[in-house]
Amino acid sequence: MVFWSLFKESIVFALQALVSNKLRSILSLLGITIGIFAVIMVFTIVDSLEQNLRKSVQSLGDDVVFIQKWPWEGGGPDYPWWKYLNRPVPDYKELNYVLENCDGAQSAAFMVAGNATVKYKSSSIENVTVICASHQYDRVKNFEIAEGRYFTEIESASGRPVGVIGDVLAKALFPNQSAIGQTIKVRGAKVLVIGVFKKEGESILGGSPDTQVLIPVNYARSLIDINDDNLDPQIMVRAKPGISNDELISELTGLMRSRRRLSPLEEPDFALNQTSIISNVFDDLFNVVGIAGWIIGGFSILVGGFGIANIMFVSVKERTNIIGIQKSLGAKNYFILMQFLFESVFLSVIGGFIGLLIVYLLTLVAGDSAGMAIQLSRSNVILGFTISILIGVVSGFVPAYGASQLDPVEAIRSS
Amino acid sequence: MQGAAIKRPVLITIVCILGFTWIVFSFPGVFAPSLKKLGDWYPALFGILVATSFISYIGLWHMKRWGVQLFLISFFVKETLLVLINDVSYAGIFFSAFFICSMLPFYKRMDVNL
Repeated sequence: MVFWSLFKESIVFALQALVSNKLRSILSLLGITIGIFAVIMVFTIVDSLEQNLRKSVQSLGDDVVFIQKWPWEGGGPDYPWWKYLNRPVPDYKELNYVLENCDGAQSAAFMVAGNATVKYKSSSIENVTVICASHQYDRVKNFEIAEGRYFTEIESASGRPVGVIGDVLAKALFPNQSAIGQTIKVRGAKVLVIGVFKKEGESILGGSPDTQVLIPVNYARSLIDINDDNLDPQIMVRAKPGISNDELISELTGLMRSRRRLSPLEEPDFALNQTSIISNVFDDLFNVVGIAGWIIGGFSILVGGFGIANIMFVSVKERTNIIGIQKSLGAKNYFILMQFLFESVFLSVIGGFIGLLIVYLLTLVAGDSAGMAIQLSRSNVILGFTISILIGVVSGFVPAYGASQLDPVEAIRSS
Repeated sequence: MQGAAIKRPVLITIVCILGFTWIVFSFPGVFAPSLKKLGDWYPALFGILVATSFISYIGLWHMKRWGVQLFLISFFVKETLLVLINDVSYAGIFFSAFFICSMLPFYKRMDVNL
């Protein structure tokens, strides 16, 4: 009981000391505010980018293998691009071969993508991504249709002029009406809109379905050369549940080598890509940014801590005679210690709280303008508050301990 | 200061200076991305351990028994945590063991009060 009443009393003393020196308190907590702001802001941005990237990679499919001409990994001056330049591109017949022979594949689709101008009456939108895909595209790629439907098997196989358009396109071309049942023109050819993709927002990897038009590849044959190298034709293969990507890659390697009649000594003339290649590249990048933020923010908080320690030494010096009086009236050492320790912890926590508040407000503002979700996560809030408390304890302990060890007689005599 | 201050042996001074230096450089480690990936509370826990070690060095600097006791507690908690997350550093254990061996011979000479 006595301990708790002393505990409460020391909190009251600490608060009184802070209120009586407002300007000094504000100036000394600024260091912590800036430090916490720097660290938590960097972490928040890195975490948000990472989350958005994972979402984008997930939409590509983390259990999907892409058969393409060019590998995703590599780059730099030593990249042997000449090896890949003369490779053949995957074609539609190879898709059928994969579908017939690949035991580990749950579904597979052929896809090419190009840009085109899309028109509806007098409205036209340039540089729209047109995805030309085979029927199982909806089973390989993760997307949802908000309105209407996907192609039927007959529509895909016979190459009917039907299409699914993105939410942004639908709103731009048909502002006050439903897009379903309307006919748009893609590269001058008529396409009946049968579905609208659910809005997904900007993707960090690009290729958001919001601004895409999806048409059956058998219809696209009449509009574009689906084996054009520049359109990056690819076969996307999704693994069956329980089949790992490595197992699927191994099977696909054998199938593609056999299909392209490659001898055992010949190098493969195709690339089998998977989304983990992208994740790994970005993981490395985020680690570097995270470490930079950690070093800069960590040391700025440390400097903020020195500021609080300095102000606490001044505070102890100023109140030495009061400490002497308190001790001569029977105040215990731990009471004096707690009084000053709470003062520094309060300073630090208020500083940290302001820092977190600034980060939160900035995430609200930046989230709207950046076009992607930037969120102050629970783990970052916990980190911010814990660090504030700890820096308060660490920077306040030495002056507080010094105050608790003062001799009452000498302390009262001090001017 | 209250009472007669106990003279601090050179070995304890060296241990404390090394300890304070370690604290300064390990404090930013609280923000290490690798630590954050382990869980929401790990950076906080690591921060508490750093703060506890710092306070224990202050106690040791003033030749207080609670300094040694706090150091031992923080050492065992830290090593248990590192064992749990499978990140035991033998160099860290060696240095901490060296510090403990340096403190213990002087333990009886230390002050029992706060």
